[in-house]
Order: sequence, then structure tokens, then C-alpha cells
Amino acid sequence: MDSQERRPVTDDIVLDETIHQPTRLRIMTMLVSLPGTDRLAYGFIQETLDLTGGNLTTHLRKLENADYLVITKEFLESKPRTWVQATPAGRRAFAEYLSNLEKALDWRPRT
Amino acid sequence: MKESDSKLAEFTPQESWQAIHTTMDKARSSMYVAGTATILLLWGVISALGFTAQYVFETLAPDFALPNPWLYPLLWGVLIAAGMAGSAIIGHRAGKKNVAGGAMRSAGIRVFLFWLAVAVAAFFVPGAAGMWNADAAANIPRVSIGIAALGYILYGIMHRPVIAFVGAGIAVAFYAPSYVAGDAAPLLTAGAILVLTALSAAWIRKSGVL
Repeated sequence: MDSQERRPVTDDIVLDETIHQPTRLRIMTMLVSLPGTDRLAYGFIQETLDLTGGNLTTHLRKLENADYLVITKEFLESKPRTWVQATPAGRRAFAEYLSNLEKALDWRPRT
Repeated sequence: MKESDSKLAEFTPQESWQAIHTTMDKARSSMYVAGTATILLLWGVISALGFTAQYVFETLAPDFALPNPWLYPLLWGVLIAAGMAGSAIIGHRAGKKNVAGGAMRSAGIRVFLFWLAVAVAAFFVPGAAGMWNADAAANIPRVSIGIAALGYILYGIMHRPVIAFVGAGIAVAFYAPSYVAGDAAPLLTAGAILVLTALSAAWIRKSGVL
């Protein structure tokens, strides 16, 4: 996605900076490792990644602004619960990020 | 300590690759241990009930227990079935608070099948070893508890070490009294398993390790 920040590894390989940030990379990994319609609870992400609420919210907002995930709130057994789900655009961006990451791992400087 | 952006400001491609694999493993594993603290407590209570009932039958009602060898398999069969059903309900309720969708359902089914296999093995392996007779029946718990403890240890190795320690603790709580405490062994085992599971559940909840 051209509108996203990109981090050059070489002239040919660029990594999506929105995903490449360590915490956001972990959040996106959790989300895209689920089937398309599955959602993760906010608390589950927070506990699994050992993040503070503020930190997680900040990164979720960045990913939501990039249209990589959607956040929904609903009641489960009369208690409010926040769910996070990767969007198709988020899955595509992550796949592209992985592809570029593989290229970056294979890349060797010319001698 | 919670991770901050400053500590994790930069990732090399290698570190990113590693982080992806670690996160996937951790997330998947977390789905398999949903509700573990409560389930451990449930099994602590069930084991304590079973061993206490066994002690009561052996010491207070031997005239009833001795001529009825079906009593203990029936007692443990009912308790284990109740425990499996209770664990499935607790795991399902805990899991649906974490993940909504098919991934949690499939994790729940795998967990249930794993423990069903352990329970079936604990029941049938003594039979396959020719122990379903009056002479060897008294030794059946030594095999069955060993298989159950091994189940905990394997599950702990796969998902969280604390569960493996509980498995080792269950083995000690059963085998040590059975060799040294004579008739009081079931009562000591009941108390030891209850304390072990209660302490483990409390530690799991306090540390947030699951």
C-alpha cells in the first residue's frame, strides 16, 4: 500500500513500517495466524504479548488507522468485551511484509 | 515488566522473523491453556474426593468394599467423567473470552481429545497388562496415576512448564504415601493433591503465567 510508511532495507526491498515496529508486528502476527473470520479479545492480546493497556491501545489505533484491523466492542455474558480482527487489507499487507522480509533475509551485499 | 517501544525500537529482519515465529507459538499455546487454573482446582477437588472415599471404604466399611471389587472403578469412572465434562465446560467458557471463531473451537477439541486419550490409556493399559483381576487390581492405581501424571508432564512440556511440575507433583503425592503411609496413604494423597493443585492455581493466577 503506497500510502503506508515504508522502511528501505535495500533499494529493492522495503518493509512496511506500520507493521515492522516490534509490538505491531507481534499484534499482526497474532491476528493473521487466525482464520479470516476469527477475532481476538483485547485482554488476550495484552496478556499474551505482556503489554500495558496504554501501549496496546496506541499500537492498535495505528494499525486501525492503516485499515489493517477493526476493533469492535460488544457484550459477552453482560460484560463489555473488545474484539480485534485483521482486515483483508491487513492480511494482504502482512503477506507482502513477509515476502519482503524473506527477500531481506536472503539479501547479501555485493562483493 | 511490560515491554516499551524504546526497548523494542528496532528489529533487524532476522529478529522480525524470530518474533513472528515466537509470537505464533505463544499465541497458539495460550489457546491450549485457557482456564487451566480453574481446571487444576477442579481436578484437585475430584482427586481429593476419590482418594478420601477410597480411604473411607477401606477403613470404615471394609465389609462392603472388599466383596465388591467393582466399587473403585465405578467411583473413579464417575469422578473422571464428571471431571472431563467440567473441564470441557470451563475450558470452553474461558476460551470464548479470548478468541471468537473456529481457531478456539479446534484448539478446544484437540485439548479434549488429548485428555480423553490419557483417560482411556489410564483405564485400558492396566487391562492390556492383564491387571483386571482380583490379584492385581490393587496395583491398577499405580499404573493409572502414572499415566495421568505423564499426561500432565507431556502437556506441560508442550505448553507451559508449570503444568509439567504439577504432573510431577501428582506422582510424588501418590507414590510417596502409597509406599510409606500404609492404610492412611489415600488420605495423605487426597490432602497432598488438593494442596498442590490449589497452590499451583493460586500461583498461576498471581503470576499471570498462562
